[in-house]
Amino acid sequence: MKNRLKVLRAERDWSQAELAGRLDVSRQAVNAIETGKHDPSLPLAFRIARLFGLRIEDIFIDDGDTP
Amino acid sequence: MILRRPEGLGPGEVRSRQRARRQLAYLITAGAVGGVIGLITGAFDEGDGNLFAGNWAALALDPAVAILVAVLLAFGFVALPLYGFRTIDELKRAQSLIGFTGGALAVLAGFPIWAVLHAGGLGAAPHPFGVWLLAFVGMGLSYLYALWRH
Repeated sequence: MKNRLKVLRAERDWSQAELAGRLDVSRQAVNAIETGKHDPSLPLAFRIARLFGLRIEDIFIDDGDTP
Repeated sequence: MILRRPEGLGPGEVRSRQRARRQLAYLITAGAVGGVIGLITGAFDEGDGNLFAGNWAALALDPAVAILVAVLLAFGFVALPLYGFRTIDELKRAQSLIGFTGGALAVLAGFPIWAVLHAGGLGAAPHPFGVWLLAFVGMGLSYLYALWRH
């Protein structure tokens, strides 16, 4: 699943650690989500959407690569 | 002041640093518990037993020391991991689950494979510490794989 997390973070001039702290996850988790190595759970996806004031589908793009 | 926010850090970065400090404290505690267990068993072992050699009958500890070590082991292998599971985020939880799955599979498959190989005259008979090592090494390797994959 692709996402716009890195772009949204850069727009706010936040580091990965800053975003991680605001989401209450580790910096490694933010990095794994940004690089597409980890798909966040639904609760975390909602937290991300709330933080950026967007809808989940505005941040995460389903590329049809689901099992 | 250690509690004051360092200059230039946002609230998220401060929380990230707190998380990193908690994780470091957790690792230090786990290491300290392991060190104390090793120190106690090394200092108070009264027999000629060896975990790796499998001669369990020769292991000997004073009952009070044995109870103390058992409590420390329960703390290190049950309480600490359960506490850790409650505090880590979903990525680390997923990685830990892969690690634990690898440990479980290593025993589920490793013990019968070891047993039939022994039955065929290949290698020593399975022994408890060896089976425990299967789980431990299987878990460690699986966890490293999970770290690499993420």
